[in-house]
Amino acid sequence: MAQSFILLVEDNPDDMFLACRIIRKVCTDEILVARDGEEASELLRRMEQEGGHDRIRLVLLDLKLPKISGLDILQFIRQNERLCQLPVAILTSSDNETDQETCWELGVVDYIYKPMTADRLKSVLSRGGGHE
Amino acid sequence: MSEGARELGAASMLYVEDEADARQMVTRMLAMNYPMLEVYVAENGLAALEVYREHKADIVMTDINMPLMDGIRMSREIKEINPAVTIIAVTAHSDTSYLLSAIEIGVHNYVLKPLNYQELFAVLDKVLEQIALKRLVEQQHRRLEENERQLAVAQRIARLGSWQQDLDSGAMSWSEELYRICGVEPGTVTPSPASFLERFVPEDRDLVLKAIWGAGESGLAGPLFCRVLRPDGSFRTVRLEAETIVDTCGIRTVIGTCHDVTELKRAEEQVRTLTGELERRVEQRTSLLQATVSELESFSYFVSHDLRAPVARLEGYCTALLEDCGTCGHADCRRYAERAGLVVQQIKLIMDAFNSLTHLARCTLSIADADLSGIAKTVAGDLAVLHPGREVEFVIAEGLRVNGDPALLKKALEHLLYNAWKFTSKRERARIEFGITEQQGVPVYFVSDNGVGFNMKYADKLFKPFQTIHTPGEFAWNGTGIGLAIVHSIVLRHGGRIWAEGEVGTGATFYFTLAENPESGSYLRQG
Repeated sequence: MAQSFILLVEDNPDDMFLACRIIRKVCTDEILVARDGEEASELLRRMEQEGGHDRIRLVLLDLKLPKISGLDILQFIRQNERLCQLPVAILTSSDNETDQETCWELGVVDYIYKPMTADRLKSVLSRGGGHE
Repeated sequence: MSEGARELGAASMLYVEDEADARQMVTRMLAMNYPMLEVYVAENGLAALEVYREHKADIVMTDINMPLMDGIRMSREIKEINPAVTIIAVTAHSDTSYLLSAIEIGVHNYVLKPLNYQELFAVLDKVLEQIALKRLVEQQHRRLEENERQLAVAQRIARLGSWQQDLDSGAMSWSEELYRICGVEPGTVTPSPASFLERFVPEDRDLVLKAIWGAGESGLAGPLFCRVLRPDGSFRTVRLEAETIVDTCGIRTVIGTCHDVTELKRAEEQVRTLTGELERRVEQRTSLLQATVSELESFSYFVSHDLRAPVARLEGYCTALLEDCGTCGHADCRRYAERAGLVVQQIKLIMDAFNSLTHLARCTLSIADADLSGIAKTVAGDLAVLHPGREVEFVIAEGLRVNGDPALLKKALEHLLYNAWKFTSKRERARIEFGITEQQGVPVYFVSDNGVGFNMKYADKLFKPFQTIHTPGEFAWNGTGIGLAIVHSIVLRHGGRIWAEGEVGTGATFYFTLAENPESGSYLRQG
């Protein structure tokens, strides 16, 4: 089976570093990073067309992103026929309750406040219906 | 003659006769026929004057020929004392010459001698009727005068002048107060529609014409507000009203009032100016407040959102440091990393505390009937369950209910009672009381304890967030020192006041008031 990977959508380099550090602690998946909403949506679209999307084990999605917001990306995923089943976990430092409700309604596997801990990611991966 | 005249109001008569028999006989007859007539007698003119000076009778009936002073001379003197007296002369035919002088001095009634009672009574009846009529007229006159005086004084006090115009003849009359309002001496101007118009400033004269002729046409006119220009150059503002009255003979008269409302108008103007000024100030303050509010809101947004991200990063690095470098290098590394991690936790606590305080200031209250006694009992019960092994006597007053947000009031009581619980922890017999007292008619609620108390010098620090007046670790760490700041905010939102009294080693009492009907809206929301 082809190598599975985790898609991390994160614009802040520190947050990116900290998230990658935890991911590497927990699993051996390849990490694919998108640094803004546009990059993420283009990546997803290409994978959907070329058929790489079924290798995505988890999308870790920040909400506050340049160009296209995390919520819009989540909506895009849910509305896409082939991507809609992707497990998505939100990774944020915002405590906006409305955002949180919307995310749960859009079927995220978790809503994680930064910084993410290894235990939390482990639990997400075990619930995320990954390919392992 | 009618019996009616004899029954008319009481009158008095002085009867002067020198013959004792005649005097007695006539007096008896008068008493029998005129029970209401009081009769005084005298035997000659001189004696009669004495009696008259004392009794002032309405009628004097007198013989003419008498010793000492005859009837004519006496009558003249009595007329001088009281010109209104009615004199009846009793005279013989031969007294014709006396009679002429009698008429001259105003003796208009006489009866002939020898006395015929029929004739006497006829004269007396006529005289009594005249007296009664005269009294009636006098009474009416007095009443009229009284009314006029009352009206004039009332007009002066009320500054309400009036006028009257006969629509057919055009004749006009003004009340004295109307003259005064116009600044002229009563009677010095001949009242006419033209002279009336001249009292007003030219630009208001059309209005005044309306008041006069409008009333003539439609029956009513006014109220109209016009300006009177006084001869001394000053202005008065008056309110004109008029009404047409048609009397039983079909004569149409316009009666109008002219009310001097200068002072009223001035006061009204002042009130308007003050109200305008007040509104301007309120607007100014509101916009200032709104500016402060929006600044505060952006600041609180900054704390609750923008600050969270870097603090989360810091926390992440502290964890990384602890996990990745804790076992390498310098021996203190691990300790420092741990301490840095604790500091981050403190920053997060402070941020949360700040956010809950701003939330309290901004949230909308759900006002309902709040059972403070019930809430206090629940909180006391929870404390006892959460911290077993303490013996604390709770005294909670019964039946304390207020209008307020029950959830917020519970939070306030939780903090107050928890504080009391905490600061009595070193007492063997701790006692905590929640009750009510009164100050200047306002109910004051209080939570008091017999704990460690505090120095009143620090009383104003108590309700400030992130301040504590006890050494850290001396009592159980309750987080951020924000509890009393929260209570303060909740009490403020309920339109109340909070203060504390205490003594080191004796205990502390926290007092608070609550508005009877607190506003539910958020005072920080922008309009």
